[in-house]
Amino acid sequence: MFGKTKLKIAVISVIAIALTFLSQSTLAYYSTVGKATNVVTSGNVQFIIHEMTDQGTEFPKEGVYIVPGDIVSKKVSIESDCSHPFYLRIKLVYGIDSHELSADDCFKLNIDESNWELHDGWYYYKGVVNPYETTPDVFSHVEIVGSKLDNNYLGKTLQLTVVAHAVQSENNPINDNKTYTASGWPKE
Amino acid sequence: MKKIIAILCGLIISITLIFPVAAVNGKVTYDGNAKEFIFEPGSAHSPTDLFPDFKGVMPGDNLTQKITVKNNASNDVKVKIYIRSLGATEDSADFMSKLGLQVKKSEENEMAYMFDSSADKTAQLTDWVCLGTLYSGGEVNLDVILKVPLELDNDYQSKIGYIDWEFMIEEYPIEDTDPKPPQTGNNFNLIFWSSITICSAGMILILLFWRKKEQKEQQTPNTHNW
Repeated sequence: MFGKTKLKIAVISVIAIALTFLSQSTLAYYSTVGKATNVVTSGNVQFIIHEMTDQGTEFPKEGVYIVPGDIVSKKVSIESDCSHPFYLRIKLVYGIDSHELSADDCFKLNIDESNWELHDGWYYYKGVVNPYETTPDVFSHVEIVGSKLDNNYLGKTLQLTVVAHAVQSENNPINDNKTYTASGWPKE
Repeated sequence: MKKIIAILCGLIISITLIFPVAAVNGKVTYDGNAKEFIFEPGSAHSPTDLFPDFKGVMPGDNLTQKITVKNNASNDVKVKIYIRSLGATEDSADFMSKLGLQVKKSEENEMAYMFDSSADKTAQLTDWVCLGTLYSGGEVNLDVILKVPLELDNDYQSKIGYIDWEFMIEEYPIEDTDPKPPQTGNNFNLIFWSSITICSAGMILILLFWRKKEQKEQQTPNTHNW
């Protein structure tokens, strides 16, 4: 149909094309780079102090009017607001018009000593506060000591401040089951 | 019936207690078809996060994150996989400088760390380090150990730190001296059959072209110029 020369050219062309394709499989060489952004986050220890009354309502922020001899319902507990367990301690600070007083001067509290242990002025919770758990009440009412409150206290504002500190219980061993022996309690 | 339900519930609880929830591994997969890396599992902070076990860390923690690097390229290539660190991002360098980080290949000597420094540094991973040559389906396992000092104070609560790592592959064809890959049942050679198809099509086109040309030459009347 067509000449021998043309046939030779066609065959050589086809072989050349075939070799080109085949040779690609042996010379192929790819390089690819990918970037991973890795993240480390640190945890935290957070809690909420609850101050409630016997009626299950929040203790009024503006306070209550008292007279000597009153017993005021005030239930204080601490709720964990984090995903890590912690040790806990609280301190009760009494004051009158921003002046600190000693407890004996005006208040008497019924501290739950089965769960809270006094050490160096702080009440230490005897156990671990687990994530999102609430402790038993530290105390449930406050008695206004009538014998100590004379007319000098008339019209004054008495304050009872609850200060709480927490420290992680993970990687933090204690001695003799005493939580005050834990490391890392914040400085006062 | 109630008894059976009670037994089943008991069994489920027992199994749950016996087999604790496994830690999540980081995964780096080289997808040979797409010519790209896939990073898993990611997190809310970064879609390419390989550290799911390093979240909410606390002072004194000593945690290990396992990472699997896998080659998912086809059977006819092998890849060399490299890793390097770009260090911590500038805004998290202070936090990361407080943390210790070690990286080692799981199967090797316990002390043979390819990285051992504070987490903000690039240290021994400043330049590319080869993790190995992997054939199709091959993988290498890394242990990343994070050490959080017990002295880390309250200033470092709720911090977020970022470390950028880069992975690189070089893809090479399989040679005769390479070990034979396992037979997967898929022996289709795409390049070979594509070449045959294209060559055949080319041949047909050439033949058609010449046939048409010859037909034209036969139909053209001879002219004689005297």
